[in-house]
Amino acid sequence: MIIIYKHKKDMPQELEYVELNDVFFNQNTVSRLDDRAKKIVECVDGSKMISKYKIESKFNRVILDIDCLSTGCKTVLNVLYYPDKIFCMKECGDNALEMLYSLKQGRVYSEYAVIPFELEKITVMVSSETENRVIEEYEELKEWWENEK
Amino acid sequence: MKSKPVVMDCFSTIHTSYILDFRFLTNITILTGQSATGKTVSFSFIKECMSLNPDILCLNYLDYQKDILKIIRKVQGKLIVIDNADILLNNESRKYISLDDRNQYLLIGRNPHNLFATKENMFELVSRQIGEQTRFEIVPYL
Repeated sequence: MIIIYKHKKDMPQELEYVELNDVFFNQNTVSRLDDRAKKIVECVDGSKMISKYKIESKFNRVILDIDCLSTGCKTVLNVLYYPDKIFCMKECGDNALEMLYSLKQGRVYSEYAVIPFELEKITVMVSSETENRVIEEYEELKEWWENEK
Repeated sequence: MKSKPVVMDCFSTIHTSYILDFRFLTNITILTGQSATGKTVSFSFIKECMSLNPDILCLNYLDYQKDILKIIRKVQGKLIVIDNADILLNNESRKYISLDDRNQYLLIGRNPHNLFATKENMFELVSRQIGEQTRFEIVPYL
């Protein structure tokens, strides 16, 4: 399950926080991409990953550099390939969030609730100054995010 | 908040096989929706127009180090287009934008906080294939 932080002060100091997912992906994650990325690219962006650095656009099937992936898709891939870093999740659309919430591990941050409307199953670890706890219900997660503490 | 656009009611451009045809109904348009609908690529087409059209100002994550509020405070009569708005805009700049009646805004993001926005400000991108061309329009976000 992924770990969510809602306050920057709660992030472990030894872990780097990445806000600009586009830049991090283009400079780092791209070199680690393997077969695991293909499914995510197809599910989130509807594009086909045809090589490590190329995708086929869903709009007109033109071959594009992989830097044309959506920020949401790049965020999911950043979290997948760098579970020891914390990534901003605010730029993810619902389709990217559904994939993000299904990852087996990874760390994300947002100070406000970012939950897809049609998420069927939630299992996340929330981390704050006072507690680390597993949440498995939409309403409970929303409440945790909206609680000031 | 529903207020009429102060700079332009519509924006259209062509970039190779892509056509952008945006109709603005409010002064602050928040362009939201799922990932990979074409929001950022639309931004890039509008930015291309910035080279010829002095009424357009485009900002995105490449301006992360800049003082966004300082930049938008200095201008008037512009359509200010901000991609990655959820990252670039803080509470202060959001409040300024919500009250700015000298400029018009197209904000690409998902967080309407402090913009005094209502559902009338929220739009999403739709695309249609017409032969080899792809046409992008904005429609109210449901």
